[in-house]
Amino acid sequence: MVTTLLDHGWKKFTRSASFNKDVATSVFLGIMALMMVGYSLAFGFTLNTLITKGLGQDDSFTFLNMLLLYYFVVEFVMRYMIQNLPVIDIQPYLHLPMKRSGIMHFLLIKSLVHVMNFLVLLLFTPFAFTVVAGKFGLGGACTWILSIWTISLALHYLVIIFKKQLDDSIWGILVFVIFFSLLAAADYYSWFKLSDISAALFSGAASGASVLLLIILLLCTLYFFCYRFFIQGVYTDEQQISTVKRKAQDFSFLQGFGNVGDWINLELKLIFRNKRPRTVLYMSGLFLLYGLIFYTQDKYREGMPWFLLFVGLFITGIFMINYGQYLYSWQASHLDFTLTRPVSLRQFVESKYWLLNTVTVFCFLLSIPYAWFGWDIIFANAMLTLFNLGVNIFIILNMAMWGPKKINLTKGGSMNYQGVGAAQWVMGIPLLLSPYVIYVPFASFGRSDLGIIAIGLTGVLGIVLRPYLLNLTVKRLERLKYSIAEGFRQD
Amino acid sequence: MISIQSLKKVYKNVTVLDIAELSIGQNESFGLVGNNGAGKTTLFRTMLDLIRPTEGKVEINGKNVQGNDEWKSYLGSFLDEGFLIPYLTPDEYFRFVGKLHNYSDADMKSFYQKFEELFNGEIIGKDKYISDLSKGNLKKVGIAAAFMGTPQIIMLDEPFENLDPTSQIRVKNLLLEERKQRSITYLISSHDLNHVTEICERIVILEKGKVIQDLRGNQNMLAELEAYFKA
Repeated sequence: MVTTLLDHGWKKFTRSASFNKDVATSVFLGIMALMMVGYSLAFGFTLNTLITKGLGQDDSFTFLNMLLLYYFVVEFVMRYMIQNLPVIDIQPYLHLPMKRSGIMHFLLIKSLVHVMNFLVLLLFTPFAFTVVAGKFGLGGACTWILSIWTISLALHYLVIIFKKQLDDSIWGILVFVIFFSLLAAADYYSWFKLSDISAALFSGAASGASVLLLIILLLCTLYFFCYRFFIQGVYTDEQQISTVKRKAQDFSFLQGFGNVGDWINLELKLIFRNKRPRTVLYMSGLFLLYGLIFYTQDKYREGMPWFLLFVGLFITGIFMINYGQYLYSWQASHLDFTLTRPVSLRQFVESKYWLLNTVTVFCFLLSIPYAWFGWDIIFANAMLTLFNLGVNIFIILNMAMWGPKKINLTKGGSMNYQGVGAAQWVMGIPLLLSPYVIYVPFASFGRSDLGIIAIGLTGVLGIVLRPYLLNLTVKRLERLKYSIAEGFRQD
Repeated sequence: MISIQSLKKVYKNVTVLDIAELSIGQNESFGLVGNNGAGKTTLFRTMLDLIRPTEGKVEINGKNVQGNDEWKSYLGSFLDEGFLIPYLTPDEYFRFVGKLHNYSDADMKSFYQKFEELFNGEIIGKDKYISDLSKGNLKKVGIAAAFMGTPQIIMLDEPFENLDPTSQIRVKNLLLEERKQRSITYLISSHDLNHVTEICERIVILEKGKVIQDLRGNQNMLAELEAYFKA
């Protein structure tokens, strides 16, 4: 049975439309994975030197042990972002003479094949067999690294439970992060030392097998809970049916804007009612804080003015970029509706133009408090906002037509690659580089201030030429709509 | 009203649609039958300008449907779930479509009245998104929406599929009743020979994208259809 299920899983992967069509994405993801492995290994081999030389700690073993629990907090958050709930489409198997429990165990064990489950091995095995083995012998090194690995695997199942219970919402993880930030602060001010617990735990792991056994017990318990959740989730009728929570969720102020307003209203409902676009919106909110990283450091403020353009572009345009790259995919499930109802494509495109641009202006308004770090930031951001409104919007409207793929709205947002095609990887490049095309000539003559103004003026030019550029965009969509619609129908 | 001229659609050297000439008059109720893969849905999609024909054209009221929005205001259609908006409730969906046709509140009310019986208390006023409806109820929503805007033409793909017997009869009566009251053209594809012969005065059999037979309002249409499908 296991081989059959593995075979089906492999077929599903290789026969899916996106696998065959999109080698570029697969290659990109593959390279990313390889890079991650490479960096982790390099980190693992230099870990001891980093601690002793870089941080000046004599006892690298104790120091690392103190930090390990915090490392697992970070790993948990990473897992929460990257890891998906394990699913196979179990429906087709349930009525066949296969053991239900067998299918579930298969599902849960197979989910262990994930890059995150081998990360700790890459990071800490070199350390285990050099430093730990030097102190506790080979046996100690083995129990130490095995304990760490087992905790990592336990986190794997903990994340699954967490995600299943919290329905993939972003709030649970925020509470989690805040809680551990407070713990870290308590540690720092020596009110409560989680690091001491951590140190005791992991030095215990190196000196005997009892800690390892305890952790294995923890892993088994979590596995058992996961199993229980999944076996109960078999009954599809008991799975939550999303009912409308707030009935009055209607953006009626948009009624004054005619058909374009109706389409924007529809798209806002799409964003607020579906997990993935909602995640994109929340992420845009988080990105507003992006500036805090760079504006606070003189290294960037004084030394790299060109880099601040990049930050400003992101802060004001992040929603436009993130949501816009799938602009037509969001409404893939009802493109046929859009094309057969009495609505012109122009109104359809215009609604998207106004939606993206309005959010961009909002992002700019919300970023005004950055004036605290200097008015020049606000000035640059204003110019970049104009650029986004006038130039980048049309780049997005047009590039999103390039082989868009259908998106299943109900699936979660983080690290969901559905709808990602070659275009989505390439799209970021012109968006991020285009302001520099204008900026660099001025900056190379030492007039970066003029360069920023020129960026704003180009944006204004795009805004002025809006009717003409919109016409061109609509004409292009008119031409491409057949192939786009066909792609969406094929799933 | 609708005229199809030397229409051809070829996918990778396979001709899936090949209709030399076909015209459908005003107030005609036109049925389309044929086994799976005969090209019924492809023909409908081409008529709705969702598929670009390899050759030829479809004209509605003398105008090519391609690159033209006019027909959309007087042709109501429902082919499949792609014509519904999954993240809206049925009420919101109807209101949205109604708005596209400039419906007033009174228009909405009479619309709801008309379909009250078909909806059977399961669709309106329920806090459920369209994505959570059963297949039968999805069909009802789609069919009702196709009636919005008092269209001159209504196009339905398999309107009886997935419906319970009571609803099938109700849909049939709705279609017959509408035609008693006003002039309207139907384009209906179906695998149910009984229903389609009751509603349609003209039935075209499609096979491998070609019109095989064009039967018109005679008594033994059902017998002729059965004879074709038996073979």
